[in-house]
Amino acid sequence: MRVIRVHNVSKSFAKLCAVNDLSFEVEEGTCFGLLGPNGAGKTTMMKMIYGRSSRDNHNGGGIDVLGYDPARDELAIKYLSGVVPQENNLDDELNVIQNLLIYSKFYGLPGKVAKERIKGLLEFLELLEKIQSPIRELSGGMQRRLVIARALLNHPKLLILDEPTTGLDPQVRHVIWDKIRQLRAQGTTILLTTHYMEEAFQICDMVLIMDKGKQVLEDNPQRLLRENIETYVLEVPIANGTPALCESDPPDGVRLDRTDATMRFYAQGIDPLKSVADKLAGNPYYLRQTTLEDVFLKATGRALNEKQ
Amino acid sequence: MKSSDAVPYPALSQRLYSVWYRHVRVYTKNLVSNGLPPFLEPLLFLLGVGLGLGKYITQSMEGLNYIEFLGTGLLATTAMFTSAYECTFGTFIRLEFEKVYDGMLAAPITVNDLIVGEIIWAGTKGVFFTFAVLCVLTAFRIVRLPEGLLTPLVGFITGVMFATLSLWVTSFVKTIQHFNFYFTGFISPMFFFSGVVFPISNLPPSVRFIAELLPLTHCVRLARAVCIGRYPPSLLLSLAYAVVFTVIVGWLAIRRLRRRLVR
Repeated sequence: MRVIRVHNVSKSFAKLCAVNDLSFEVEEGTCFGLLGPNGAGKTTMMKMIYGRSSRDNHNGGGIDVLGYDPARDELAIKYLSGVVPQENNLDDELNVIQNLLIYSKFYGLPGKVAKERIKGLLEFLELLEKIQSPIRELSGGMQRRLVIARALLNHPKLLILDEPTTGLDPQVRHVIWDKIRQLRAQGTTILLTTHYMEEAFQICDMVLIMDKGKQVLEDNPQRLLRENIETYVLEVPIANGTPALCESDPPDGVRLDRTDATMRFYAQGIDPLKSVADKLAGNPYYLRQTTLEDVFLKATGRALNEKQ
Repeated sequence: MKSSDAVPYPALSQRLYSVWYRHVRVYTKNLVSNGLPPFLEPLLFLLGVGLGLGKYITQSMEGLNYIEFLGTGLLATTAMFTSAYECTFGTFIRLEFEKVYDGMLAAPITVNDLIVGEIIWAGTKGVFFTFAVLCVLTAFRIVRLPEGLLTPLVGFITGVMFATLSLWVTSFVKTIQHFNFYFTGFISPMFFFSGVVFPISNLPPSVRFIAELLPLTHCVRLARAVCIGRYPPSLLLSLAYAVVFTVIVGWLAIRRLRRRLVR
């Protein structure tokens, strides 16, 4: 079953076209990632899904979420979904449980049910001992987990996360990834935005890379990596005395991508890159497997856009 | 497409209640610092006037001695001020700085629910602040019970009216300093030209005409009528003004804020 179906959706603000004719589908019980640089239109796309942003209706596009159209049935969609916005907007005046109790009212949960559910969710997100703590005393990672707990209050069929781990340390990030995997295993469908390629690779079943509002690539992360970029990369920082490797053509099967500060040699096998490295005469280099980040940079370009 | 009836999302009353409940919980968290000033302010004001200014004013105003005239006016102005602050600075901070609305609008409520809940909350604050003034006035025997018990209702009406106006103003504001124009240019002058400090009946006709258009004038009239238990038919005009004002300005506020919240 498809939980989200987006077809030919566009959204423009004044002069800017934030989302340009985007289409994708999200299968039930999978994790779908929207990837792209800042300003690519990820958050706008996400907001259109839960009715917080309205799509352009001149080009006949449509959105179907769990059988409902956000332009008409935003309440049904919001009731069945949980949303983790980009910023942690907890009420600082209140403590952990009070923050969640306030939100339980929005779902019409009776007090007793709400309290039991809150305890379960705090336990799941490893926050139970903080149940009476004021928000100010929580670390950034705890606040983020609390916002996730808040989004899970109504046992959502669809969980929407806007940059769930931006600015968090590696431990917290791994904990959050584990929680997302567990939720998916329980059948929750997950839609997230991120600009961490590692995150997309770790938890997403499908990834859509977007840039300037348009779809650039869409596939399963392993396949994206396999089909869109060579397996290895040799990175050579350019300093005084770095041999002029780039002046001559790179060997067969090796692709060179050069910026002012770095040369990057890509190849399917490791041996041609080793032979390039040998010519470096002791200058520093870094030989590694390519990651989704390399695909991303290849697809969206290395130059900064006006929003970055 | 399925019918949305299949999803048991909360009814309108529950949605409005949950917005209101959020504000009540956050406000009552600091009960002492939030709850004491509404009682202290009228106390200090009346002490100042009673011990000082009042001695020089011996003429009665609209059949009331000065402290009664001013005191009954304060029942309405206190609701105006609290509602105006709540729906300008309070709303703007929730909108732009704390991003509270981003979280609330991810829950199953609409923008309309959010704004109407906000207005009802401002009305509730009007009730509470008017009640505080009523306690002080009753303690000084300026207002008699049980007549005075209806004044919190006027506080609600006043709070709701100024909530709609203040939310409409907020919908235009880009930086928080802009509210200074609203307060020094509109709210504060209204305190002097709405029959709170002196009656408007003896003002020059042109000024009086303007005073009659100001919302606070009608709130003050309602408050005073309730206190003295006299209900002239012209009071219906003030009541009608309150209803029409709330509906029209409320509609404008919702329309403009909606564009700011759902883009």
